[in-house]
Amino acid sequence: MAIPILEINHLTHQYPDGSDGIIDICFSVTKGDFIILVGKNGSGKTTLIRHLNGLLRPQSGEIKLHGKNILKDLILTRKTVGMVFQDADTQIVGDTVFDEVAFGPENLNLQRNLINTKVTQVLEQLNLIKLKDRNPSTLSGGEKRKLTIAGILVMDPEIIIFDEPFANLDHPGTQSLLSTIADLNQNGQTIVMATHDVETLMGSASRMLIMDKGRLVEDGSFTDLIKKLESHGIKEPCTCRIGRPWQP
Amino acid sequence: MATLNPFVFRPGHSNLHYLDTRCKFFLVCIVSLSLLKANFPACFILLGTLIFFIQQINLELGQTLKHLKYFILFLVFIILARALTIPGDPLVQLYGISITHQGLYEGCLVAFRFFLVMVTGIIFSNTTRPANLKNAVQWYLKPIPFVPEKRVGIMISLALRFLPLILNQANETRNAVHSRCGNLEKNPVKRFIRLTLPLLKKTFLSADHLILAMEARCYCENRTDPEFKPSGKETLFIITSLGFWLCIQFF
Ligand SMILES: Nc1ncnc2c1ncn2[C@@H]1O[C@H](COP(=O)(O)OP(=O)(O)OP(=O)(O)O)[C@@H](O)[C@H]1O
Ligand SMILES: [Mg+2]
Repeated sequence: MAIPILEINHLTHQYPDGSDGIIDICFSVTKGDFIILVGKNGSGKTTLIRHLNGLLRPQSGEIKLHGKNILKDLILTRKTVGMVFQDADTQIVGDTVFDEVAFGPENLNLQRNLINTKVTQVLEQLNLIKLKDRNPSTLSGGEKRKLTIAGILVMDPEIIIFDEPFANLDHPGTQSLLSTIADLNQNGQTIVMATHDVETLMGSASRMLIMDKGRLVEDGSFTDLIKKLESHGIKEPCTCRIGRPWQP
Repeated sequence: MATLNPFVFRPGHSNLHYLDTRCKFFLVCIVSLSLLKANFPACFILLGTLIFFIQQINLELGQTLKHLKYFILFLVFIILARALTIPGDPLVQLYGISITHQGLYEGCLVAFRFFLVMVTGIIFSNTTRPANLKNAVQWYLKPIPFVPEKRVGIMISLALRFLPLILNQANETRNAVHSRCGNLEKNPVKRFIRLTLPLLKKTFLSADHLILAMEARCYCENRTDPEFKPSGKETLFIITSLGFWLCIQFF
């Protein structure tokens, strides 16, 4: 069994107003995983995800990154565990595409030359190089989403976490983003994704976690759990129900 | 929106576009300083120079003047005010009010100077990327003690980024209010509150998200300094402008 990068042990978080965010969550993430996290609205996906890089602190339980508590060195944690938020507009900081991607490395106080090389490399990798002088607010939804990924990728994270990356994207936008993410995973990038869009990820994701009312109720391989989705109130992809094997 | 505003960056390849922003900043200051004392001949020389640069950056003179119509009205008002208030040899006399020679001369000169400052500003903002402007401000603030220049830099770039978003949001909120006949409300205070409350709520919420996103990307104060790419012509520009300034000071 491979050594896990991230271990989540008995994580519990309650919001100040008394509502339960997450309750007693345990799982681990190993290198190369493509995990999708599903569950009804309000089941605690966002809350869980925000713990993974120390944006929220648990009331009890802990998260270990390579065996060390993530709260010990938050800069290292956030460099290693990159996070792409749901709303692209509120996470883009720079006033040009290039500056936006350079924001992270600038925070790490890297040399300017190194920053320029890295940013250019990432923009080329994600096919954004033509847009490098554009103002991010003039980009399309799909391009914005890719830009936010570029801003994370440039920091060489070991894990990238996505919160509903496909929200508000049309079909071509979704497909293009999915192929970007799947490519990253093929190249060994570990991915954790909260989503309602199980069908899109068939054939790409390897593992599934199902959450319900703040608890982790299932943890297993994507193909095994897909049959159980309906019993947890999530729509099973119709291609599965018909019984036809899914073809890429 | 962009077409309504003459003060927006227009991409291009002129000398001014490639000039280091710090240098351009300095030039604007020198020109404004010179104008404080400039007489008519100096103003005309400067006007000639500015027109040359306007040609270089392919700015439509007519269009720009059209955008400035209220400003020009304001200039006319200045001329009139001066002409009517400054004592001297009367040029025209009507009902005891006289327009004086000296007043008219003074008024025209002041208006001319204002106009030139405006044109300088337009040329500057048309050839300068907001991102570079931010870098230049940050660079000038660096030697000043107790000013956290990196924080100011981030604030400027966030403002540049989020102002259009907030304006957009304001528009959307206004449309939402209007589509439910909110515009029938006559009380201006109520109207104002209806518009601003949802807007503020949304803005603060996005600010929360923004803070999280910045934190997730290791935001800290000790950041890499911005980069400048001088084009090599800065010295020439600076020397010329200083020469102009000195000429005006002493002649
Ligand atoms: N800031 C907060 N204060 C109080 N309660 C909160 C807060 N954020 C979330 N909650 C509550 O915590 C629970 C889990 O919310 P969370 O946002 O993690 O759900 P989610 O699975 O991401 O939902 P969705 O699919 O809608 O994004 C919900 O019951 C929610 O009402
Ligand atoms: Mg959520």
